[in-house]
Amino acid sequence: MENRLLHIFRNNPFGRETLLQSIYFCNKVGAFPVIYIPKTTKFLMYFDNDVVQVDLDKSYLISPETALKRATELLEQGGISARFLDPKHFTASTLPDIHTNFDYMCCPRSVSDMSSKIGLGYIGPRVRRIVRSARFPVLITSPVYKEWKSIAVFFGGSANAIKALRLGFHIARASGIQLDVFTQTEKFSKEDYQQIIKDRNLEEEMELYVKQWHFFENRVFEENLYDVPHDALVILGAFGHGVIRNFVFGSKMEKIQSTISNNLLIAGPNYTTIR
Amino acid sequence: MRILRSWRYPGNWPIFRFDDRLLLILMAAIVGNFSGLASVALNRSLVMMSEWIHHFRHYWWVFVLPAVGAALSSLFLEKVVNEGAGHGVPEVIYSVSRYGGLLRFRSSFSRLISSCLTIGSGGSAGPEAPVVISGAAIGSNIAKYFSLNDRQRVTLVGCGAAGAISSIFNAPIAGMVFAVEVIVGEWKSVNIVPIAIASVAGTEISRLLQGNQIPFSHHLFNIDLLNIFACLGLAVMSAAASILLTRMLRSMHTVSHKVSAPIWIRAAMGGCAVGVIGLFLPVVLGEGYHSVKILIEGEYGQVLAVVALASFAKIAATALTLGWGGSGGIFAPCLVIGSLVGVTYHHLLALFWPSVSWVNEGYYALLGMAGLISGMLQAPLTGVFLIIEITGGWEVILPLIMVSAVTTTLCHYFEPASYYLKDLVEHGHLLRPGTDARVLSDLNVTELIEKDCIIVNQNMLLRDFVDIIKISPRNYFPVEDDQTGNFLGIIHLDDIRPYLFDPVMYDAVFLGQIMNTKVEVVHPDDDLLDVVRKMDMKGLFSMPVVVNNRFLGLISKATILDQYRKELMVQTSH
Repeated sequence: MENRLLHIFRNNPFGRETLLQSIYFCNKVGAFPVIYIPKTTKFLMYFDNDVVQVDLDKSYLISPETALKRATELLEQGGISARFLDPKHFTASTLPDIHTNFDYMCCPRSVSDMSSKIGLGYIGPRVRRIVRSARFPVLITSPVYKEWKSIAVFFGGSANAIKALRLGFHIARASGIQLDVFTQTEKFSKEDYQQIIKDRNLEEEMELYVKQWHFFENRVFEENLYDVPHDALVILGAFGHGVIRNFVFGSKMEKIQSTISNNLLIAGPNYTTIR
Repeated sequence: MRILRSWRYPGNWPIFRFDDRLLLILMAAIVGNFSGLASVALNRSLVMMSEWIHHFRHYWWVFVLPAVGAALSSLFLEKVVNEGAGHGVPEVIYSVSRYGGLLRFRSSFSRLISSCLTIGSGGSAGPEAPVVISGAAIGSNIAKYFSLNDRQRVTLVGCGAAGAISSIFNAPIAGMVFAVEVIVGEWKSVNIVPIAIASVAGTEISRLLQGNQIPFSHHLFNIDLLNIFACLGLAVMSAAASILLTRMLRSMHTVSHKVSAPIWIRAAMGGCAVGVIGLFLPVVLGEGYHSVKILIEGEYGQVLAVVALASFAKIAATALTLGWGGSGGIFAPCLVIGSLVGVTYHHLLALFWPSVSWVNEGYYALLGMAGLISGMLQAPLTGVFLIIEITGGWEVILPLIMVSAVTTTLCHYFEPASYYLKDLVEHGHLLRPGTDARVLSDLNVTELIEKDCIIVNQNMLLRDFVDIIKISPRNYFPVEDDQTGNFLGIIHLDDIRPYLFDPVMYDAVFLGQIMNTKVEVVHPDDDLLDVVRKMDMKGLFSMPVVVNNRFLGLISKATILDQYRKELMVQTSH
């Protein structure tokens, strides 16, 4: 079955960059973009155990008469025939429901704030809620269109990291690009991480899809991130730990997203392995 | 850390693994308490605001107060909390029908504040619908926090609504009946027991904080057979008032949307009109509980024309408040309109048959209230139990049942769906458990696709195709372009029957010549209900699922029926 990516189209130059990223991603992994051109500044996404109200900033509604044409042109330039999402259900007349039966979703770092406020280290609250609740991974794009030539997966041994690794295998299979796996050795040794892979029966896939497994020995994680290629699609798990643990020990995802400007493909705690 | 984590998943605790109904009972008590607190908070806020506003009642500009309240309420909903939704109860029923009771956290407080601004300033609306959505959202979010499943979440949404209604009216049975009859729509013990617990919890919170008082004082009526039969006429009047109110609310909504002004200005316009009406007939202002008390006690003391005019004015004021953007519900206005209609009817009886000893007008006010609630909500049990509990008048139960039943039936004839359900029914969103539409809505095309089809191409000879037919158990064969892989059409065994017995044709006919290209296709995002309707209309047994010109598989009536039965068993197994 063809994988589908949900893209909310913002009809301005920043939105164009984001759509170009979506088109590139879809072409690479053989997915099919489904574009939603919003007519109201808010919509609801009903997930399995959460309902997220996405409050878009006003730039999403700029010149609606040109939005369809521009999005279609960009898609056709990318060699993809346009498919647009027309909401069928409404919680209220100005509150459409966008279904969540997708395989990926593309978001900039924030959908609720003006693009001038969005910077490295900031992921908006709505995007975070979507990542937390969604069964699909979320592609958080870099601010400008950037093609990726390699794939970097961050693996820390947790259940969420295993999900991210499986997602990496899927992307590698679909795109034909081998993975670089990055692990910050903290309380475990290399052998421990290899044992985790063995316990999860992932050795065969590691053999097949992983080009190199890099272990960061340097204690300062942010410094190590320089080794991640600038043109890599970075795949990682997020929100696998509780608030208290994140507060005490910090979050790897936060460190990564505030340090590197690559495209990020984030698997949240409810992500289920892709079809 | 592990203890904290397990706290979030009480379903995994040994005691609840033994019987998950105990989990629901515990959660229902928690939800009932919180929704009861929300009701008390709104009630106390309304009292405080009314007392504060009272000081300005003698000024000439008092008519702008409802306009200011409605505008602030609308601004709060639109700009501060970004609600973007209606008055509440339909949203709760929609969420229960389609999304397992998922409600936004902001809904647990937004309508409390907005309705307080609207009603407290004099707008004609009730606080019940806001506390219902507030309680329901509390139930939904507690279920979400504790990772309960859809069915448990729906029950807790019902618990929230029950706790809220029980608390605001000090009426546990009415709260329970309302939640089951209107919100959940399923009379099963798995729902009723937790909802009853939540009703008790909500009522107890209210009694603890506000005292155990019946909202409207109890009077004994000496009811004879004539007065019982006379209530049939009142049922007709109540039904007429219900239909008028329903239609005026909708027409005001339509008219207001034609005004090209921001929503807060429209709300202010509606509020201003209510303020003007209130200058002459103060009975239309606010939620009107005080007026109901006076009417039940038979102390309204106005002539027939004034009471009748007040009935129409209250209907107009409610439609102006809610239809133009104010926030609130229709419960309390129904009580006021019902009691006014009842008193009007009493005056009419006394006018036409002055020699008959009719019961006190308070009796007809009670019956009118039950009639309006039953007519608007088309929920007769809620109407009966609510009036009995808020007045303590068990001796009027027979005429109450008669009025409720007749009014509901008459209203159903003119308005097949209640005020709450009308939009949902029109848009096909009312999906009660165990119904055909609900079962189909819980299935989707993707999970029903049959992929074991043999795909052929348009350049294949009939001879080769005959060999494929021999090994295939299927009657349908999708045809794809051998160059692009695009879906071209489909071949059914019936299409080749004329050629099968003529071997000369085997090497002369290509599948591209005999395939059916005008085939109805299904997209994975299509609603299954629409797919089934299409199959029924066109007499089809299978349809190809195609996306982006790619054939994904077939969807057939046999598979739909198979999954339908399984889903129906899941939905009705409790």
